[in-house]
Amino acid sequence: MTFELPDFSLAAAELWLLTLGCALLMLAVFVSAQRHTLLYGLSQFTLAGALGWVWWSAPESRSLTFNHHYVADDLATLLKSAVLLLTAVSLIYTRSYLERRPHLPRAEFYVLILFAVLGMFIMISAHSLLTLYLGLELLALCLYALVALNREHPPALEAAMKFFVLGALASGLLLYGMSIVYGLTGTLELHTLAAHLSDPASLPDPGSLTHLAWGFALTFLLVGLAFKLGAVPFHAWVPDVYEGAMTPVTLFIGSVSKLAALALVLRLLIEGLGALAVDWQGMLMILAVLSLTLGNLAAIAQHNLKRMLAYSTIAHIGFVTLALFAATPAGYHAALFYILVYALTAAGAFGVLLALSGEHEAQTLDDLQGLNHHHPWLAFLMLVLMASMAGLPPLLGFYAKLIVLQALLDQGHLALALYAVIFSVIGAFYYLRVIKRMYFDTPTHAATPRPARDLTLALSLNGLLLIALGLLPGLLLALTHAVF
Amino acid sequence: MITLSHYLVLGAVVFCLGVAGLFINRKNLIIVLMCLELMLLAVNINFIAFAYFLQDLAGQVFVFFILTVAAAEAAIGLAILVMLFKVRGTISVGELNEMKG
Amino acid sequence: MSEAVVLNLVLWLPVVGALLIPLLPRERDAPVYTLAFAVMLVQLLLVIWLFVRFESGVSGLQFATQIPWIAAWGVAYHIGLDGLNLLLVLLTALLGPLVVAGAVRTITHSVKLFYAMLLVLQFAMLGTFLAQNLFLFYLFWEAMLIPMFLIIGIWGGERRIYATVKFVLYTAFGSIFMLVAVIYLGLAAHAAQGAPSFAFSDLYALELALPVQTLLLLAFTLAFLIKIPSIPLHTWLPDAHVEAPSPGSVMLAGVLLKMGAYGFLKLGLPMLPEAAKLFTPVLMSLAVASIIYGALLAWVQDDIKKIVAYSSISHMGYVMLGLLSYELLGIQGAIMQMVSHGLISAGLFFMVGMLYERTHHRELAVFGGLAKWMPVYALFFMLLALASVGLPTTSGFTGEFLVLLGAFYGAWPAFVQGESHYALILASLAVLGVILGALYMLRLVRRLLFGPAQAPGGQPADLSRRERMILATLVLAIFTLGIYPKPFLHKTEQAALDYQRLLLEPTPAQEGL
Repeated sequence: MTFELPDFSLAAAELWLLTLGCALLMLAVFVSAQRHTLLYGLSQFTLAGALGWVWWSAPESRSLTFNHHYVADDLATLLKSAVLLLTAVSLIYTRSYLERRPHLPRAEFYVLILFAVLGMFIMISAHSLLTLYLGLELLALCLYALVALNREHPPALEAAMKFFVLGALASGLLLYGMSIVYGLTGTLELHTLAAHLSDPASLPDPGSLTHLAWGFALTFLLVGLAFKLGAVPFHAWVPDVYEGAMTPVTLFIGSVSKLAALALVLRLLIEGLGALAVDWQGMLMILAVLSLTLGNLAAIAQHNLKRMLAYSTIAHIGFVTLALFAATPAGYHAALFYILVYALTAAGAFGVLLALSGEHEAQTLDDLQGLNHHHPWLAFLMLVLMASMAGLPPLLGFYAKLIVLQALLDQGHLALALYAVIFSVIGAFYYLRVIKRMYFDTPTHAATPRPARDLTLALSLNGLLLIALGLLPGLLLALTHAVF
Repeated sequence: MITLSHYLVLGAVVFCLGVAGLFINRKNLIIVLMCLELMLLAVNINFIAFAYFLQDLAGQVFVFFILTVAAAEAAIGLAILVMLFKVRGTISVGELNEMKG
Repeated sequence: MSEAVVLNLVLWLPVVGALLIPLLPRERDAPVYTLAFAVMLVQLLLVIWLFVRFESGVSGLQFATQIPWIAAWGVAYHIGLDGLNLLLVLLTALLGPLVVAGAVRTITHSVKLFYAMLLVLQFAMLGTFLAQNLFLFYLFWEAMLIPMFLIIGIWGGERRIYATVKFVLYTAFGSIFMLVAVIYLGLAAHAAQGAPSFAFSDLYALELALPVQTLLLLAFTLAFLIKIPSIPLHTWLPDAHVEAPSPGSVMLAGVLLKMGAYGFLKLGLPMLPEAAKLFTPVLMSLAVASIIYGALLAWVQDDIKKIVAYSSISHMGYVMLGLLSYELLGIQGAIMQMVSHGLISAGLFFMVGMLYERTHHRELAVFGGLAKWMPVYALFFMLLALASVGLPTTSGFTGEFLVLLGAFYGAWPAFVQGESHYALILASLAVLGVILGALYMLRLVRRLLFGPAQAPGGQPADLSRRERMILATLVLAIFTLGIYPKPFLHKTEQAALDYQRLLLEPTPAQEGL
């Protein structure tokens, strides 16, 4: 085995994030936590710089480095840009929330967010089981800590504990699956794995012991992935974490981290094990159907908006899983498009909650009651966000659902498409209920203070983007289409 | 002669012990952390066994990473545990029920 | 300025208006409705100009605009006028300024939001009629949902939330199946032509197997029957109408209900002709059942608004009957009946709203003898009621007469040859609907306008000048269509002929077989 120097320039953004993250950590030791603006500015600067590096280092064609453990391709560039932009937006939404709560450890918040972004980057660019695992764990460890960050708040700690235990369990299952895959193929690299499987001779015969072992491995991998995605029946952590964590963290978990979760699935299942699609399709279908059913039905019963959005996430994950189930390039494209749209919409929805959070943390439907009276513009933005999540045209959310249905119908899965469609009408009910509370009911409590100007601006952009891209969906479609 | 399957069976047994412990135990969160550790160790056994029988180093390298990550994970888990004990005064699994779910 | 530009202007003017509304000063309401009224009025004038310029006797689209929009899916921004949508566009544009004028006193809070929503609704409705691309059609169709949801939910009556949620869930449930059908048609067009397309003209040319057609038509039928509404899917309508504010009811009855029938006309029947023939007996029976059932229910109601709402169900049944006759007269009659019902029901809902504003009551029992106290009101009410009954010289007569004539023409050959009797029986039953219509309308008029004068809260004031203007416009339109329908029928004739050919004649590929 010869040693070759890896091409560091391809991973420039990761190195930048690592360096600045450590620098911020050091800085936090010496600078008083009261200097919030400095910490905030530096974090935003880091993210902006990383975005520059991502675009600067984007290769013309797919390139591997670090002994084939790391890949830089269009998918990675797109997902990384989306992660950075959404994280930056999340930080804008969060700034005034943190300012009002001096007891929260701010420096740690920013450092953890930056390292979580680094973890996602590694996942997105992972090209071997090892890097996938490392990125996943870096992200997960940061998220556990972020959820527990609100130390005086018992539900946060409870949520963190549940998240930690179930997350670690999921990692364990995933690793066990990986170890079997390693034993069967003798490689950790995804492309060697794919090459091994694409050779018809090495495809396991049905009924053979190897086939059984593959089934075993796939089950473990799928269960692990389902945990990370939050698909039913491995969703138990999702509502509790969404509710228990403070809203900025929920925002981060609910929107940005979903991009990384999809990257994990795309890399592992499609790039690595795409040849075994027949074997994992069935499992995905079960996950999708259950997620659609339970997510939509349980969301109706929720009074806490964060919890409702948690169940709605589960339902949306069901849609994404359905797209992946199609196991065609159109399906993968649909899944990518869907998750991008979902992340954008969810960020806006939690952003509205943050905009309404004064001293009191807005999180129930009551906090939204009569919003149209106090903040007509915020109410309108929330209306757009909810309508987009419900999939009403001509908003962006509609195209996300449409393209998934298209991929399904193209493969002749009419029954599944109808099932998804029926449950999205049921889903429309609870989104409409939010609109109803905002517009039809009279407010029961005094107006919250006007949200900060940068927050309103970012939120308006977020909401209007859903309309604008809904009117010109070709733009985003072209962007995601170029990836596959 | 100890064959690959012996190691795999050992790994599977340890892994199952870990998972079972996780679900059966309703008393103590520390035991939960130990069970998680046990699962990772089972994976390590698998990786080393495969690496040895495949004559491939990558699996052994993986084990080192898993060990490191497991240490970090245990640290975070224990940190959350300590905070939880401070606030709630208990580390029983059954009392983690403030939120439904 | 070319006509195509004007047509685009007509479509997009309401959007411009809706975007301008938030910029108006916060405190006063007057600029808001002035702006909305101006926008609607300009739109109406432009539509009238287009109507005059519209050439009769020419097949196909006129004033069309086609711009590629989502190229990857073959979706184009493609709008245009043809004989099928011309009159409906005219109707929508006519009702626009009237609704704004009628809403001035009715809507007292969240005024800006109301007019913004009204304009968005107007945009979506016009878009639905003008769209020549199935995808675009679907987008506009769905875009009507949120404005209507808010209009009923914010400014409606006591049970407004129940009514609006019911309305939205019914509609959404219907249209979501339509979405699946739309996607399927798109994929089929892709497979057949090698390039993705949602253009109506391409979809008409598709030849699908009968089972596929049946399933697709089933999906479309569900969506359209809910919207028309036909029994047994009509139950959202009385609630929505009763709870909606009167401008909302006017829009709902005047234009929104036409969407379902227009859907059958534009895409359900011509796109899936074989399945349509299979469905005809069932749909025709539903249409006649709606006519009679709606009329019977209207007969027993005590709430004036409900009477008008149920009469809508009955009148829309004629539209379906006309479409399914596959006769030139029937098709033209159906279009005429749509317009006529739009005018008459809009007028009646206005009148109910005006009475409600004065007395805050709608129960028939508390009123009587209003002819003594409000002579002008009574006059307009009489005229509208007679038009609704279908008195000759009113548009109601033109529409219903043509529909029935078409239905009998369509039914006769099969009857003479002894093949089937059902069509003739159904057509005869539909005549019964006319008699029932006279019964419930005259009951309403007698109880409301004649007898000893009574009204809650004493004598209500007669109509204001604004209200008279609104009603006079409608009545004028009704009589124009009744006395001299020729120019209107003339403009739609060619389209109806082409349309009939599309339905009846085998496609070229079938001839080759």
